[in-house]
Amino acid sequence: MVEFSPEVIDTIIRAAALLGAGFAMIAGIGPGIGQGYAAGKAVESVARDPEARGNIITTMLLGQAVAESTGIYSLVIAIVLIFTI
Amino acid sequence: MKDIDNPHKVQKEILKKTYLISLLPIISSLLAGEYDITLGFVFGLVIATLLLRLKYNNIIRALSMEEESAEKFIRNRYFLEYALYFLVLITAVRHARLNFLAAAVGLFMIKFVVISWSVIDLIKDTFQSKIDEYK
Repeated sequence: MVEFSPEVIDTIIRAAALLGAGFAMIAGIGPGIGQGYAAGKAVESVARDPEARGNIITTMLLGQAVAESTGIYSLVIAIVLIFTI
Repeated sequence: MKDIDNPHKVQKEILKKTYLISLLPIISSLLAGEYDITLGFVFGLVIATLLLRLKYNNIIRALSMEEESAEKFIRNRYFLEYALYFLVLITAVRHARLNFLAAAVGLFMIKFVVISWSVIDLIKDTFQSKIDEYK
């Protein structure tokens, strides 16, 4: 069986943490696409029913504020992986 | 949720509730003498408030555009906001006087309030409809 020195193991762990951080950042792309799609549909809805503008803005604001949480979760995890390991 | 037709009022209400709830961790960390937690939390909360205002302004601007350009505009602005979140979290990690986790929780406070407000409203509505059914 191959035995690794502690330095090599440390390097492998560090590389794995950085790789994990990179993978975690993929989760940041999804909310952007989703928010853009929602904005397009909101414009369409306002054009169809201008009286519902206020309602649409509120729903969109709250929806977008909550939707980006997953992106920030991934950011927090990536930063923890980069700076603490 | 009252005044759903008035986004400005809803935004103010959310911020008011967020600050009220945030008083609890701020006061308890101050009393415990953990000033880095207080600073980190307030830092995250201030940035979250400013980014909510920015989001509101972006949405108002996007609604005056064409469908495709609004989609692109909001997507690009999201990535800009994401970069700002990144800078805030990096600052919290790098600065010794700011607690990183407290800053992250401060950033999430508005989202927690929105979700819990919706859940409470849902429970209230369900309870009210059950009472109406019983009557």
